[in-house]
Amino acid sequence: MIRRQVAIVGIGQTAYGKALPATAWELAVEAVTRALADAGIDPADVDGMCRFAAPFEPVSEPMLVRALGVGELTFFAQAPLGGEALGAVVAHGAAAIMAGLARVVVVYRALSQSTGGRFGRADRGGPGGPAAADPAADIVVPEEENRSFAWPYGLMSPGQLFALWARRYASVHGLSDEDLTRALGTIALTQRRYAHDNPAAMMRDRKLDWDTYRRARMISEPLRLFDLCLENDGACAYVLTSASVARGLRDDPVYVLSATQTLSPYREPMGIYTDDLIELFSPATAERLFVEAGVTRDDIDVAELYDATSFMTLRSLESYGFAAQGQAWRHVIDAGTGLDSPLPVNTHGGHLSEAYLHGMNGVLEAVRQLRGTACSQVADAAVALVGAPAGSAMILAR
Amino acid sequence: MAIIPGVTDLTRPYWENARAGRLVTQRCRNCGRIWHPPLPACPHCHGTDIGWHEVSGAGTVYTYTVVRHATHAALADRVPYVIAIVELAEGPRLVTGIAGCAPEDVRAGMAVRACFREVAEGVTLPYFEPAD
Repeated sequence: MIRRQVAIVGIGQTAYGKALPATAWELAVEAVTRALADAGIDPADVDGMCRFAAPFEPVSEPMLVRALGVGELTFFAQAPLGGEALGAVVAHGAAAIMAGLARVVVVYRALSQSTGGRFGRADRGGPGGPAAADPAADIVVPEEENRSFAWPYGLMSPGQLFALWARRYASVHGLSDEDLTRALGTIALTQRRYAHDNPAAMMRDRKLDWDTYRRARMISEPLRLFDLCLENDGACAYVLTSASVARGLRDDPVYVLSATQTLSPYREPMGIYTDDLIELFSPATAERLFVEAGVTRDDIDVAELYDATSFMTLRSLESYGFAAQGQAWRHVIDAGTGLDSPLPVNTHGGHLSEAYLHGMNGVLEAVRQLRGTACSQVADAAVALVGAPAGSAMILAR
Repeated sequence: MAIIPGVTDLTRPYWENARAGRLVTQRCRNCGRIWHPPLPACPHCHGTDIGWHEVSGAGTVYTYTVVRHATHAALADRVPYVIAIVELAEGPRLVTGIAGCAPEDVRAGMAVRACFREVAEGVTLPYFEPAD
């Protein structure tokens, strides 16, 4: 068990924007440099790196090691499946530190969706692959992870799949269109309000009211424009080290209590063929996260839940056990996810309103909450959960 | 331009049957179980003697979405269109589209039956249409 043997001692981020002048490489270097400065660690002393696997992460270890002047990496690892690397990179980094493979592990994620792949545009280097060279030519979908059975039907972008999940949720639990709209809209509006108080948030100055939310165009029913995350450029990084090294560096290290990754047949990130489409990981996985951390759900003061869409925030409240199955929509409508709610969620604005950084900006926000330095600070926050929809997650504590 | 499936040795029988107007799934010749999409071995008994089995084509809409925003240039003149996951009467689910009714008339739980659409020369995709 990781429980308090490893800590986050530094966090760093760049500006977030729709089209930043910097390359992903420059952004990664900036975020990592800031994280190391925050930790008080010289880049030469970094000896471990964890990152999201290609094709998601555009900046390789050699690119970063050269630019930072790292002495020697003795451990580097990549975690696959996009956002599902979120808890995995922490688990791998912590395991390496505990096994003595590395002493200082940098975790980073850089995105340049303005020049690289846009997740919402399958024909602009997004997950849907490159555009056909000849616009009149047929697009042949390679048979890779069953894509050839989905993309010819126009299922080519994550938002469409999440719309299928949201519709399934509504039909299983008997929600009317209005019930679902109120629940998803509450999440979108609450996260936008958090963003107003966050100078780093891309949507800081963009007001969102119910009228605007409801009138926004449908992208993939039942998901409207404001139910989907931003597409942007930016980078995030943090630094992991052992608890003993951490205590020598700063008074407020943020300890890793547990971190998980999970995969079983068809229970996959972006799962289409899961037995129960909206159960992407088993309740036992969530249980493991809490048991290994040595805390209960009642101990969680704040949650940062991976929100490629507002529906993921809603569903993750159930998957991680904060609301009963089929009840999160009522919980959200009745109690909300704001600072005055039983469990504040995505207090930086999340992917919907701060920026999309593949969940990494949620980790940074959890660290700020536990240090007591967040823009929308949860009073006396001591324990935080950061989780992705398919069960890759971590519990952090001060 | 059409978006068409790339074909591998593993998936070729599925698409060749679709072209002939038949909806098939893999079936294990050892334990008799069926599944979709194709796998290189039976996930139940681990047998590797895998054949193909024509299913009835009857199913229900498990979930669906009406796509109103094209996320690929090739879809620009297709919106609005329906993506559905259909559960076959025999059990397996597949990603498909719904033909034969307006997008706004599709409902979760709706009974459907397989039909076939030639989307490019020599390329046929299984679709589904309302059963009644």
